[in-house]
Amino acid sequence: MRVLLDQLSKSFGPVAAVESLDLEIRSGEFVALLGPSGCGKTTTLLMVAGIYKPTAGTIVFGERRVEHLLPKDRGIGMVFQSYALYPHMSVEQNIAFPLDVQRKIPRPERDRRVRAAAEQVQVGHLLARKPAQLSGGQQQRVALARALVKQPDILLLDEPLSNLDARLRHAMRGEIKRLQKDLGITSIFVTHDQVEALTMADRVALMRDGRLLAYDTPEELYAWPRNLFVAEFIGNPPMNFLPVEITQRDGSLVAVSDGLTIDLPESRRAALAASAPARATLGIRPEDVSIEPAGQGHLSGEVYVVEPMGREQVVDVRVGSWAMRVIAPASFGGQIGDRLDVALDVERVHLFDPDSGERIG
Amino acid sequence: MAVSIEVQRSRGWQGLIPYAIILLATLPIIILYGWLLYSSFFERVEGLRPVGPFTLDNWRFLWAPERVQQLQNKSPIIPLTINTFVFAGSVAGVVLLVSSMAGYALSRLKFKGRRMFLGGVLLLHSFPTVVLLIATFVVLRWLGLYDQLLGVILVKAAFELPFGVWIMKGFFDTVPWDLEMAALVDGANRIVTWWRIVMPLVKPGMLALGLLSFVQGWNEFLLPFIFMPSGNQATLSMMVRSLLGEGRFVDYGTLTAIGLFYVMPVLALFLFAQEYFLRIYSGGVKG
Repeated sequence: MRVLLDQLSKSFGPVAAVESLDLEIRSGEFVALLGPSGCGKTTTLLMVAGIYKPTAGTIVFGERRVEHLLPKDRGIGMVFQSYALYPHMSVEQNIAFPLDVQRKIPRPERDRRVRAAAEQVQVGHLLARKPAQLSGGQQQRVALARALVKQPDILLLDEPLSNLDARLRHAMRGEIKRLQKDLGITSIFVTHDQVEALTMADRVALMRDGRLLAYDTPEELYAWPRNLFVAEFIGNPPMNFLPVEITQRDGSLVAVSDGLTIDLPESRRAALAASAPARATLGIRPEDVSIEPAGQGHLSGEVYVVEPMGREQVVDVRVGSWAMRVIAPASFGGQIGDRLDVALDVERVHLFDPDSGERIG
Repeated sequence: MAVSIEVQRSRGWQGLIPYAIILLATLPIIILYGWLLYSSFFERVEGLRPVGPFTLDNWRFLWAPERVQQLQNKSPIIPLTINTFVFAGSVAGVVLLVSSMAGYALSRLKFKGRRMFLGGVLLLHSFPTVVLLIATFVVLRWLGLYDQLLGVILVKAAFELPFGVWIMKGFFDTVPWDLEMAALVDGANRIVTWWRIVMPLVKPGMLALGLLSFVQGWNEFLLPFIFMPSGNQATLSMMVRSLLGEGRFVDYGTLTAIGLFYVMPVLALFLFAQEYFLRIYSGGVKG
């Protein structure tokens, strides 16, 4: 079912948690609300759930306006960050609760659906247990089963993986994504972890200070960050930034900083020439920088520290007072203090207006 | 648990010091109760020396009240006991009913004057009952509940409520919001959520508060004494008082037996339910 948020706002007293949020989620789509803590993503989710009443704006499910409806009348299932399993009920009673409160589902039907929901997330053998007797991963599966048992139109997940350990998180990431695709259920999940958002979601809505900053597929967000915040937030290790001046030189556009001159590629010139300010923030991802023998790169510097990651190494290079992270192959044998050159892949350079933070060109 | 045992062992005899202090402090009370029990089985006790042989005579009021001279012209003990049970039980019931709903509202709902109400509740809790006697009398008269058990039940419950409401608010505060949100999303309304999710989680608090209110009601003397002067629905505390206050010869043997009979339910409650009583002061830690 399609979900449409139109000019959605929520204030707590004088504090605006969410401001004029527009978001459209297509039927069957899996969307991540991503942002640092306090950015309004959970508030948005709770408004969709019906726990919070919006201060202004509309929420549409399918063709139906729902912002005035109680949570129980919205046809949603939700998994909470704490899982929020009812501690005094068995797993079976927990999963059955959404059916039991409806009161019109006959007993055999209820039992069948509880069992099916439990089997779907592999907790069929735990039905008699109490939540306190389950591991974190099992609790989360039970929470999922409870959210899905009434076959909701929309599934909401609030930081679903944040309470799991790293290994389990990886496993559940794949499982939740697969489950969402198998059921084809429109889903929204909230996370502060960009890896979760990029790996699981069809589209990612990046929020900060109650505003939507970008809404796109993970690939687009990564390849074409719309502004500085997106560029900073998405990507691990994060993008390198460098203040530059943009000038004409010999008929081509160049970005200049101390000791660095980069010829900007042909493809960008047209766009840049029209709107280019004199100053800009140049961004380059660590994997778009390569380490070259001395004298063959754009910049020369010194190895500050090397972090082996197994498949690759992250090398911190100090260029003057400026630190640059570079992804080097695992075979890179540099040591702290080595002198070397780095080369930037000029096709992959990002330029941002240093004042507005918006992308240029 | 295991850790604390470990600690005690390593300390050896020093671990016993707290127990010794507690024992010393409670010894006078224990001795008094012991003496009460002991002397109820003899006709008379001089100091610690019993006069006469072991006897159950003092307990005759249980099976042959008509032969106890002191109890002539008094209501029989069984109806009195029933009255006391009804009184204490109803007080506990009213306190539980109101505290559980008011505590929930104070813990969860936003409304105008909430903070002031909370402050007021605390103030009322520290207000001595005696100060309000005359006003209460007027209200009872006006309601037509003067000299009736129901009236005294309401008054006693009202005096117990500030404490109960405050305690229950504390217990409700420990229930995570997430659970209620989950229940609402799962399709429950607010009442169902309160009853099926929140209330089971504050059950230890309810139990503790219920027991405590019962004991408070059971021990109450002043309110029934003042607001039920005719004694038609007298309680045990009033009877014990009247045995003492007769002025002429007091049969201390019977008095000790009746006194003991009167405190027994309370002692039993404390023995079997001390775990719950302790919880009320630990601020509603989940059990």
